Amino acid sequence: MQAERGQHHRSVEVLASKLRRRQIVGSRTAALETLVVLRQVVSRARFSNFEQLVEIIRGVGRRLVEAQPKEHSVGNTVRKVLHHIREEYQTAVGQTGPQAGTSTSGFSISKFVLQGQPRRHVPAQKTEVKTTLKEDDPEDPDSFSKGLKPVLMEAIQDVLDELETVYDNVSKNARDHIHPDEIILTLGRSKTVETFLKTAAHNRHYTVIVAETGPSYDGREMAKSLSSAGISTFLVPDSSIFSLMSRVNKVILGAHVILANGGMFAITGSLIAATAAKAHSTPVVVCAGQFKLTPLWNLYHEYGAVDFGNPSDVLGFNEGELVNKVDVVNPYYDYVAPEFIDAYITNDGDHPPSSIYRLLKETYDDEDNEL
Amino acid sequence: MASKNAASGKEKLIDEEQEILQAVVLADSWNRRFRPLTTKKPRCLLPICNAPLLDWTFESLALAGVQEVFVICRSYSEQIKDAIKKSKWSRTGSGMKIVPIMTAKETYSAGDAMRDIYTRGLVTGDFILVQGDLVSNIQIDEVVRVHKERRKTNKDAILTMVVKEAGVQHRTRSRGDSPIFVVDSETSECLHYEPSFAFPKKQHANIPREVLAEHKEVEIRYDLIDCGIDVCSFEVPSLFQDNFDYLDMRRDFVHGVLTSDLLMKNIHVFVAKDGYAARVQDTRSYESISKDILSRWTFPLVPDDNYPGSERYQHTGGNQYVAKTHPATISRTAKIGRNTLIGSSTRIHDNAEIIGSVVGPNCTIGAGSVIENAYIFEGTTVGAECRVTRSIVGSGVEIRDGSTVERGSLIGDGVVIGPGAKLKPFERLSVPWKAPASTAGSDEDDDEDSDIEDIEASQDTVDKASLGPESNAVVWIDKPPEDDDLDSPENYNNLKYMRLGEDDVTLDVHHSDKDTESVVSEEQQLQDSSDEEDNYDDHTDAESVVSLSKDTQGGLMADKEFRSEVNQSLERAFAEGHSVDNAAVELKTLRMASNVPLIRVKEAVVAAIVEKIPVLEGAAEQRMEVNKTIARWGQLINRIGGVDPVETISLLQRHISTSARMSLFGQILAAFYQTDVVEEDDIRAWHSLSTSQGIDLPLGEERENMGKAWIVGAHMIHQLDQQSDSEEEGSDEDEESD
Repeated sequence: MQAERGQHHRSVEVLASKLRRRQIVGSRTAALETLVVLRQVVSRARFSNFEQLVEIIRGVGRRLVEAQPKEHSVGNTVRKVLHHIREEYQTAVGQTGPQAGTSTSGFSISKFVLQGQPRRHVPAQKTEVKTTLKEDDPEDPDSFSKGLKPVLMEAIQDVLDELETVYDNVSKNARDHIHPDEIILTLGRSKTVETFLKTAAHNRHYTVIVAETGPSYDGREMAKSLSSAGISTFLVPDSSIFSLMSRVNKVILGAHVILANGGMFAITGSLIAATAAKAHSTPVVVCAGQFKLTPLWNLYHEYGAVDFGNPSDVLGFNEGELVNKVDVVNPYYDYVAPEFIDAYITNDGDHPPSSIYRLLKETYDDEDNEL
Repeated sequence: MASKNAASGKEKLIDEEQEILQAVVLADSWNRRFRPLTTKKPRCLLPICNAPLLDWTFESLALAGVQEVFVICRSYSEQIKDAIKKSKWSRTGSGMKIVPIMTAKETYSAGDAMRDIYTRGLVTGDFILVQGDLVSNIQIDEVVRVHKERRKTNKDAILTMVVKEAGVQHRTRSRGDSPIFVVDSETSECLHYEPSFAFPKKQHANIPREVLAEHKEVEIRYDLIDCGIDVCSFEVPSLFQDNFDYLDMRRDFVHGVLTSDLLMKNIHVFVAKDGYAARVQDTRSYESISKDILSRWTFPLVPDDNYPGSERYQHTGGNQYVAKTHPATISRTAKIGRNTLIGSSTRIHDNAEIIGSVVGPNCTIGAGSVIENAYIFEGTTVGAECRVTRSIVGSGVEIRDGSTVERGSLIGDGVVIGPGAKLKPFERLSVPWKAPASTAGSDEDDDEDSDIEDIEASQDTVDKASLGPESNAVVWIDKPPEDDDLDSPENYNNLKYMRLGEDDVTLDVHHSDKDTESVVSEEQQLQDSSDEEDNYDDHTDAESVVSLSKDTQGGLMADKEFRSEVNQSLERAFAEGHSVDNAAVELKTLRMASNVPLIRVKEAVVAAIVEKIPVLEGAAEQRMEVNKTIARWGQLINRIGGVDPVETISLLQRHISTSARMSLFGQILAAFYQTDVVEEDDIRAWHSLSTSQGIDLPLGEERENMGKAWIVGAHMIHQLDQQSDSEEEGSDEDEESD
């Protein structure tokens, strides 16, 4: 028992330190790694009732989020797994719950806020009470976990599958969003956006303008990749975003985090592009997988949330004399408020920023918002 | 588990990929730049940005995926051991195994530590050697990969030094110890290493001629920060073992390996493009590295991210960091400036101002006090209306109301000053030393004890009124030692350049020079330094400044001695008919012993050979004699190392211009040519050198003779041209030069 706990503890610690040291970066990679660790933890976990299991998973989640609070997809993945596990648990344990739940509550505006989740929410608590009574077997405490584990693994596998196909699913309606001979502006190198544009290119002929996106200059890579896929691509300096905006039909951005208020964090420069787009009434569309949805409302109040990076990207360390005299601020992300964004394209359909909160409610359980 | 490997696999080579990555941390600094802060604890446990230096070092290594770390501790080894045991690194899942190694008190240098590593057989393969004061986010594993790759083709590449590009004036670059690296641009092999201190100031860098001759492209760099990260092959400790006089890693080991003709080992340099690495090697770099951390150059090693300490910090605008878990209590009217770190549970009272400083946990800053660019350790109390500027204040210090701590002050743990104390700049204070006080006393070596006794004995002469009525402090007096070693960076004046808060350093040393005239009196002032911007007297270390043009003039005692030794040895060789090889070995040994540049040996050999030729009457006999002598001994010139025929001709010309055998120049040169000591191309190359005409020499016989010799050379080239034109096979090249 001790050793076992140490064992999965170890894989969690390894991931935590990797996250902390920024050896794992990127929302999707982090999410995948988290899932792998969760799968290990769950497969080895010993629990005699459902609360214990949830607590184990939450504990892992807490540890990982604490290690790197800025990689939100980690927490989101844990929440998602918890949500799936609850669902599977309910179906596995007894069908009585859901009916009981819906029958008592039903939808009404007054209860809406209280209940949070309009669909299949209420049953959760009710059935839990029932089943723990039923399943918490004092003679054989392992029987519960043995019975549930295959279902749990399946639930985690579902999340994993969803993550693995996320790019394709976001892109499946690409042709509906990009029309022939349009001019699209994009920033940075978001894998989601890249796949989206390439998929659209199968059916449509259009032009992409890629801003260089300093100080990482990811845009250069993006432009290379797009033009090698046969899309007519222009690479422009960041300074010309505004002047080109009048010719642009649509701005397509990637996201790092989508907040509950419909705003998002995205690579530095996104705010400039979005503001320029607003000035020209150009639509701004954000492509992102569902795992970027984060149940936080006011992250943008936190100064450090934009992830201030290394000044050396902006000012070379070898500029010896300047280093002492200049304070360099190099945020990695911009916060783009919901009013700048027209639509989110996710693997779960297209949504306006104003309905993101609803999507969140459906994706995660309320009690997991704080891990 | 890994230490068992150490026993088994000394000879194991380095090709396995899954071999664990080892690192050795030298947790002792072997100098006293931080005293009196380090009288009761080791430097590597001093906090920087509220986390012990050693933890930053471990984190830097963890970032590189190091799996096993040996920490070599000397002073206060128990404290270091405890700290490691308590740290997060000894928990499971840290991924790094840290083994403290207690070394003997007699370990007086990095070299001794390396010898200790060798005798204990700690390392099994290539390892990373760092100092216990490193802060870095460089991907050292990348350097290790490059190093191993290189080792596959070149077994002699034993060491890769990591350096970081920075400007000459960069705040993080040490003023006191700023070496010059000569690097081959293509292979990044380090060809020459020249230590350079702020005092005595170096006017010339002496780069061996072979370096320039043998490599196509050479970079001479003075803008690098030596990060103190070395990727060593397993034979490095054994080299230390063989060369028991190596003390310093750089000045002795690197310099020694590079100048040695016998070791034939290569050292490479890795210029880190990305990332940050620097050593907290003096109080000055303590400040600059603190600032680098706060302005996020070390990202992700910053207080709000991958912070090595246990506390979590919140990052707010202007790079302010405030502890998160046990937040500080900060008065509404207090002003917190940019680049500031405030530790947990610290209280900051009304109207206090904190700018560019680090305040440790559990401190109290009184109302209206101003803390500017100061570094305050744990649990210190600063009273009301105080002023602390550019200083380091130890833990548990009490600075009572109305005191002023001027720039550059170091206040040791537990000192009480004030109320109303007025410290002078660069004042150093500590509590009185109680000899039988604690176990820490046994950790001290006698040397240091006597040092502290000295300080205490001299207290009567110090006016302590400025420390305030309630003070318990003893003052560390700043006086130059009698036996100041100018070859070491620890010399009195050089240390001034490493102090925190030293802005106008040139001026300051200039003034103090007047008091310490005796230290520097024997050094001459150079005339050619008038273009130097600074007004600081340019002293040169006579031995290290050997510019090429002055070579032949010699004039130094050591040089003369060496010359006579060479002559004696050659005479013996001539008389006893040694083989050329034996004579060459003898000369090499001689050169090692007296540590002179190669050119000196060559010069002496050329001179001796020329002088050996007897002067005869008849032209034919004369030629015979010349050919005989050169045929017998000419090859010796190339055997002593560093084949450079052009230089040989130049030396011959120089020597002969002042010799009675001036008339033989043509014949000797021809004989050299015939015995393949020099080639045709070399003669041409020599001839086209501007110095060969001797124009830059003062008027006189020497210049005239140089000119003559040059003309002889011209003739010879002319003749060689004709020869090759007509395809003659004439072997008779000496001509009407007489």
